[in-house]
Amino acid sequence: MLEIKPILNALRRSKAGALMLLIQIAITTAIVSNAAYIIYDRIQYLQLDTGYPEEEIFSFVATTFGQDINLSQQFELDEDMLRNIPGVKNATIISQVPLSGSGSASSFHLSADNQDVGGVRAAYTSGDHNIIDTLGVKLVAGRNFTQDDVVVPDNLEENSIVAITSQTFLDEMFPDGDGLGQTVYLGNTPFQIIGVVEKMMGPWLKDRRPENLIIMPFANAGIYQKIIVRTEPSQRAAIMRQIEDKMLTAYDKRVIIGLQGMDQAKQDYNSADILMLRMLIVLITVLVLITALGIFGLTVFNINKRTKQIGTRRALGARKSAIVKYFIIENGLICSAGLVVGSGAAVYLGRILLEEYSLPALDNSYIVMTAAFVMVVSLLSVLVPANRASNISPSVATRSI
Amino acid sequence: MFAHYLDLSWRSLKRTPLVSILMIAAIAVGIGITMTSLSVYHMMSMDPIPQKSDRLFHLQLNTMDDGQTWHTEDNLALQLTYRDAMFLHNADIPVRKTASLRTGFSVHMNSPDVKPFLEGARVIGRDFFAMFELDFVYGDVWTQAQEQSTVPVVVISEDVNQRLFGGQNSVGQQVYLNDIAYQVVGVLQRWDTHVKYYDLNNGAFNDVEEFFIPLSMIETQEINSWGNTNGWKFEDIKTYQDRLQSEQLWLQFWVELNSEEDYQAYSQFIESYLIDQAQTGRFSRETPQFSLRNVNQWLDYNNVVSEDNRILVGLSFMFLIVCLANILGLLLGKFLKRAPEVGVRRALGANKRQIFAQHLVEVSVLGFIGGLLGIGIAQLGLWGVRATYRYYSALATMDLSMLLAAPAIAIVACIVAGLYPAWLVCRTTPAIYLKTQ
Repeated sequence: MLEIKPILNALRRSKAGALMLLIQIAITTAIVSNAAYIIYDRIQYLQLDTGYPEEEIFSFVATTFGQDINLSQQFELDEDMLRNIPGVKNATIISQVPLSGSGSASSFHLSADNQDVGGVRAAYTSGDHNIIDTLGVKLVAGRNFTQDDVVVPDNLEENSIVAITSQTFLDEMFPDGDGLGQTVYLGNTPFQIIGVVEKMMGPWLKDRRPENLIIMPFANAGIYQKIIVRTEPSQRAAIMRQIEDKMLTAYDKRVIIGLQGMDQAKQDYNSADILMLRMLIVLITVLVLITALGIFGLTVFNINKRTKQIGTRRALGARKSAIVKYFIIENGLICSAGLVVGSGAAVYLGRILLEEYSLPALDNSYIVMTAAFVMVVSLLSVLVPANRASNISPSVATRSI
Repeated sequence: MFAHYLDLSWRSLKRTPLVSILMIAAIAVGIGITMTSLSVYHMMSMDPIPQKSDRLFHLQLNTMDDGQTWHTEDNLALQLTYRDAMFLHNADIPVRKTASLRTGFSVHMNSPDVKPFLEGARVIGRDFFAMFELDFVYGDVWTQAQEQSTVPVVVISEDVNQRLFGGQNSVGQQVYLNDIAYQVVGVLQRWDTHVKYYDLNNGAFNDVEEFFIPLSMIETQEINSWGNTNGWKFEDIKTYQDRLQSEQLWLQFWVELNSEEDYQAYSQFIESYLIDQAQTGRFSRETPQFSLRNVNQWLDYNNVVSEDNRILVGLSFMFLIVCLANILGLLLGKFLKRAPEVGVRRALGANKRQIFAQHLVEVSVLGFIGGLLGIGIAQLGLWGVRATYRYYSALATMDLSMLLAAPAIAIVACIVAGLYPAWLVCRTTPAIYLKTQ
């Protein structure tokens, strides 16, 4: 009862139109499945847990040009001033702000002579003993820094230097799981690991080792000094607005720049990915729309062309539903052929993207889902004109021949 | 005849408004999306200084021990040590060369009127301005004598001149950089370069610097880099002097070589310098390695055009093909429906070629209207790009060539789509249609 044979016969007489529809559906399937996969890949990356309460933290830079003060003393005063602002949980000077895209990294070794070739790459940052609390990360083993651990320029030679690392770094450096309490070397400077943080990301989310971070307790302020502050999330915006005035009131021969929430900094770092994401979403939305319009337009045209035939069929006793079914099956046939070609093209395109660019291999389930989606869209866009066709009166057939 | 075809096209478009709107919408959206990604790509890959991009060369030296690697494809570091950069800068050949470094200062005027602000600055030799073709509004570059002396002088941009001096001729005035008074010797015209090709270390599409100071300031003012500093071995650096003598890599170096002979001579000069340096025991290398890349090679080497952008351009052209298939299908229907009319025209004496031409004119009109609308859609798209990614703000624009390309691509695309339907319709045999009328 599916009337496939007459449909195929009819199609054979207007090949070009059907072929165009087929090409459209094929390319749409190929593009949409690959683009959807890239979108999924980027969203996964953008939603990575960084370990920080990003919406509570903000950072800024104070660049001091006045030369009549002791910088370290000034920043001690500034930290106290910041911590006393209502709504501020903690604050510290910091050498490099995580997630910001700017930082320092090096290889860490097991011995001072760096015999273990290569070492383990990790980013590092430093601040005073409040840094763990200010970053809001979770210490899972060992202890936090104390005031006595903090190395200031005056006692550089006396103290042994301690460090807190991310779990990821510790696991890579000491695969046996006995890292806590051991010593690692940066150049020939030893650092004893006293604490482990469950999860914290370094400055570059796209680094080869994004989760390797080491925090050291150094508190020597510089001319170009970064500061981070953690606040109650609801009050962050209000506090950020007061920062420049408060800092300049405390000392005015400096410039405050780069005032930015941690989530904003992360978004800036990732804005190329967000751009790609948005462009792809626009692309596939419009593409599906255009294909749907194409199917719609072509069906409308076919119906206009076949008005008399439809009228004749109706006059010979075909039901309205038979007319609708005819167009739906016709479209379904073209669409299926297009989807087969398109799936092949999608696999091929996915392979090109995999070889030429740093994209992961296309997951076949995306092709299946896209094909199903395109099929539904195509059936929906044929439904309206097909219904209109079924309303053609049988009398049309008798008017003129 | 052409005017008549245009008239016929217009009537034909009006006769089937729905199909016309569908076709124009398809081509407009296709062109809009394609032009959005193509414009960004075009600006990224455009030669920033076409008149001399093949004469400006960026120098890389390998001053690392054998066996040390770098992340570049040929294992060469992107920057030079201070020692090498200054030696080459003070050498006799070639005529124009400059070391270059990005830094920055807190700027103030020693008065409460101007709030202190932070601004990027470039530390360079005086040849820099001539090499990169920068013109002056007021004053001129510092003299050779000023470059050697330790008296601070500065060249400022037109924008900064506007901000600090209200656009007046500020030559001879003073501006404070990190609390040191610098004397203004020149004001530069706006430097319109969409890609920062002379220093790709910290983002190829960032803004150019607003202050320019002589290289001699590095030692006297102990200037720190605002760009990257890389090392390849552990060195105990305590003082600024240690840093200047170290193997750390933190300066860029550009030369202008105007002929093949210059290039050869300079290559030989560099090679003998490297052999000489290896002999002093600074580093252990069997064979000297260096590279001179001109501007376009340098942009390529640094992968300035992003991978994402290439993918987008590819996808959007495929998208355009979908739009064309769409149009082709619709045109086929539209033209064939007109077969009886064409039959009458043929019977009245129009030849096949004229019918063919008439239909191609009609699709060109479609393409033209679609292309114009496409420019509007592309502007919307580029606005979206700028809003999402501030860093691309200088790139996400259409220059004249892109504005012209939009309708051109649209018309060509439409003609391609229209060829087959037009050919079909011009084969119409008049007799059949005359009979059924």
